[in-house]
Amino acid sequence: MIIKKPAIFIYTFRPDPGVLKEICAGMEEEGVFYEIAEQTDTTLDALAWNAANDSMLGCGIGICEQEIALQIKGLKLGHNVEYYCCPSAQDSRRLGANGARAVKKQALR
Amino acid sequence: MSYIAGVDIGNSTTEVCLAEIPAGGSLRFLASASCPTTGTKGTAANVHGIQSALKQAVGKAGISMNDLALIRINEAAPVIGDTAMETLTETIITDSSMIGHNPSTPAGAGQAVGEILHIQNLSNAAAGTPYIIAVPKEYSYEETAALINDAADRLKITGIILQADEAVLVENRLRQKIPIIDEVSRIEKIPDEVLAAIEVALPGQSVRMLSNPYGIATLLGLSPEETRAVTPIAKSLIGKRSAVVLKTPGGNIHENVLPAGEIYLQADQSSTINLDEGADKIMQAVTNAGEIYDISGQPNTNVGNMLSRIKKGMSELDQSQNADIRITDILAVDTLAPVLISGALAGETCLEKAVGIAAMVKTQKLPMQEIARILQEELNTEVTVAGVEAVMASLGAFTTPGTKLPLVILDMGGGSTDAAVITDGGHVSITHQAGAGELVSMLIETELGLGDRHMAEQIKKYPLAKVESLFHLRMENGQMSFVDESIDPRFYGRVVLLAENGLIRIEQDIPMEKIAQVRREAKRKVFVTNAVRALKTVAPGHDLKNLSNVVLVGGSAEDFEIPEMLMEEFTNYRIVCGRGNIRGSEGPRNAVATGLVLSYLGERR
Repeated sequence: MIIKKPAIFIYTFRPDPGVLKEICAGMEEEGVFYEIAEQTDTTLDALAWNAANDSMLGCGIGICEQEIALQIKGLKLGHNVEYYCCPSAQDSRRLGANGARAVKKQALR
Repeated sequence: MSYIAGVDIGNSTTEVCLAEIPAGGSLRFLASASCPTTGTKGTAANVHGIQSALKQAVGKAGISMNDLALIRINEAAPVIGDTAMETLTETIITDSSMIGHNPSTPAGAGQAVGEILHIQNLSNAAAGTPYIIAVPKEYSYEETAALINDAADRLKITGIILQADEAVLVENRLRQKIPIIDEVSRIEKIPDEVLAAIEVALPGQSVRMLSNPYGIATLLGLSPEETRAVTPIAKSLIGKRSAVVLKTPGGNIHENVLPAGEIYLQADQSSTINLDEGADKIMQAVTNAGEIYDISGQPNTNVGNMLSRIKKGMSELDQSQNADIRITDILAVDTLAPVLISGALAGETCLEKAVGIAAMVKTQKLPMQEIARILQEELNTEVTVAGVEAVMASLGAFTTPGTKLPLVILDMGGGSTDAAVITDGGHVSITHQAGAGELVSMLIETELGLGDRHMAEQIKKYPLAKVESLFHLRMENGQMSFVDESIDPRFYGRVVLLAENGLIRIEQDIPMEKIAQVRREAKRKVFVTNAVRALKTVAPGHDLKNLSNVVLVGGSAEDFEIPEMLMEEFTNYRIVCGRGNIRGSEGPRNAVATGLVLSYLGERR
């Protein structure tokens, strides 16, 4: 039996460490697990979309250097739920929290 | 062949019924239209609304405005309704005494007692004293956790209050597990060195110790007198997921009874009632008063101001010499309003008692002739004022399939609830009661603490749903609805209204069940009460058992649940009651406009 922790996937490509840390903090505060994996993909849309499709929770985040996007399984490629370019610390924290809130079926902030 | 239009100017909408009368032939209805009434009913400002409704109707029928041979306007009932709210109690905190709120993610669970210590003063703390640490948002979760872990060896730290939303982040980095409350916006207002009790409820539960006066007494070591004084605190913390209670030496919290206004009834049995006696007492006095000549309120109170405002509004409308402007009915409804507690630290509210009042002012006649004159000049078509509104409404309602005489109509509008009875002999008796759709909106606005009348109107009008995923909604009746295209993420997890042209998001974080309950109760309190009152007034012998057919008309009869509520209520009296279907096609709208066209035919004969 393969036991896998239900987690939000974060697919990254050379992520800004500050941005990544805030996104993770947003998810941690909401109490949802996450897993980070560096990819070779270089487009943000594909990172987020693949992360959402691979995640058991159906929720993924893509980080491409300074760009971040939140995706939910079932949405089309490029139709991100939330997107920021050069986000502030609050923006990154909120995007992370929103990913977790989407999994918990709570309203996004 | 000639074309004739009936125009009904209501408090909130203007309705048009367009018909064709072939020479010698019988009447044929062509089209109906409805537009919002422009200005107050009975004023020249109504002309714009009438014109746009007429344009809509002739457009639908494929004729031009010049083809109209006659326009008949209703002799509008000379009544206007208005509403006011009077809060009867208020909770005041002198000095900060309490923080009780529902942050989405507090951390830890259980209670703690300690002296408040702001984190910047950690170095001054004494060993052996239990402390609750207050942390402003300038400290990151990592800094906070590091400082507290360092201090934990030499100090006794029992709990933490955070300004930022970081309780879980801090807890995950602490060596010892203690209750942590976050999102306390005005943390700088918490005084240092006061004794505080803190509680975080277990998941899925609400606070137990701090919502119980004896619990607070146990934690803070209060005397019986102090325990009595903290009862309002305990009351306002019921249902919260986390709470802090501070024991400030000069601090206090008390429930004030506000001096509410008095209402003076001039009637067969004149009386004076204080609003704080509650709605039941007021309505009892109104029922026992016999014929009411006039109602006034104590000057400089909300109710006094409202009553003089609507009288003034009517006196501006009816400037004739013999104007006889009187308030002849009021409807009082008890309600609870979430009011911001003065002195609160995290925007806490307390449910305060309040009374909602609707009043109705009456005059002899509205200046409808003036509207007819202006309209005639502008359209170059004959315009006449014809027929009493209730009679026209009855005639229109009688076109509902399945009705028979004697017939009762219950016209539920925005400002007033009117009833009329036509007997077999054609005799009509009428009553106007204060309170209708607008009072319902006011109650919804107050009880949900919306502060937005437009949103309250929408909540009244549309059923609720919760967006549970980007592809499905759960309706308030439990039904699920799936959509092909994903729902806008802005709606995700929110309670929404199902309007005709899409979803409307409710900004406030109120559970769907609570909104639905408040909405239904508001409708029941106003419409069921008023329907019974109105029908008892017009029923032969004032006995509802003497009525057989009741047809519901007017804007509020279109509501998705009011007609069913009334049907249930009247089942006990064996009354056939239902939403009207004017001309078998128009639903409960357009009764008066249809009546105006039908009465023309009668007059011609």
